[in-house]
Amino acid sequence: MEEQQIPPVPQDLENFFNITFDVVTRAQLRQAAVWAKVATLCAFIGYGVMLIVAFISPYMLQSEGAGVTTMATSASVFGTLIAVAAGVFINYFLYRFAVSSIRGIDSMDSVSTNQGFNNLRRYFKILGICLIIVLCFAVLGGLLLFFASFGARGKF
Amino acid sequence: MDNTQEQSLLQMNLDYDGGHILHETVRWSRFLSIVGIVAISLMVLVFALAGTALLALLPTLAPSIAGLAGLGTAIVMSVILVVFAILGFSVFMLYRFSVLTRRGIDQQDQAAFTEGIKCLKIYFIISGISAILGLLGNFASVINLFLINRIHP
Repeated sequence: MEEQQIPPVPQDLENFFNITFDVVTRAQLRQAAVWAKVATLCAFIGYGVMLIVAFISPYMLQSEGAGVTTMATSASVFGTLIAVAAGVFINYFLYRFAVSSIRGIDSMDSVSTNQGFNNLRRYFKILGICLIIVLCFAVLGGLLLFFASFGARGKF
Repeated sequence: MDNTQEQSLLQMNLDYDGGHILHETVRWSRFLSIVGIVAISLMVLVFALAGTALLALLPTLAPSIAGLAGLGTAIVMSVILVVFAILGFSVFMLYRFSVLTRRGIDQQDQAAFTEGIKCLKIYFIISGISAILGLLGNFASVINLFLINRIHP
């Protein structure tokens, strides 16, 4: 009789099986997901309010007699649209984390819970990349300011 | 015996995919929390060194909260410090989530893993309450805008 060879099990795989989502962990994760959902819903409503204000405020200012140019109005609306689109895009992943995690915990479904964690990973990743871009711009701005002041000192 | 079998059937394990996803989640959240801690520390430092000068510039820097300046320097400084403290606590909870969850997965420590998820819960509770307060502030500013337009048509 041939000896059956058992494929080696990766060490990491063994490690993960020892962690369980027990009652306490599930309750904590569910509450985290519920509050994440509250935060995202508030953010979505806030973006709606921002859009309404962006579209209405130029007309209000015009009716007050303030000299608001069409260029300034469209720039303001465009800026708000970009900000809202970015905010909705980022918060959508947090919302999906909340929905998938709650569904996964309620139905004891590992696949849904993993999907939830995957959306949380995407949310943090996008935030991290945005933060890196902002930091790069800040460093660039600081360097430009430094060299500008250095150049001005050298001139005089 | 039956009870143990029932418990094992009702248990949900962290599988291979979930572990890898959480590993990467934790890496990004740790980066975010460390940058957040550094940023808040810098802001507190700037506020401690030039707080009075910044308060004098408040109407120019942030016209929407310029009304706070009328409350008095001590109250405004206390409010700003409380906001910094809440932000700092929130970021610290994110950092603890990263560290404890990673330790839990790497060392197969169930207690650390649960504590990490608890820190994530606290982080999202603070985020949720901040979002509710922000939304209320948003509504207040919209109502203010409409009222100003109605008083001065």
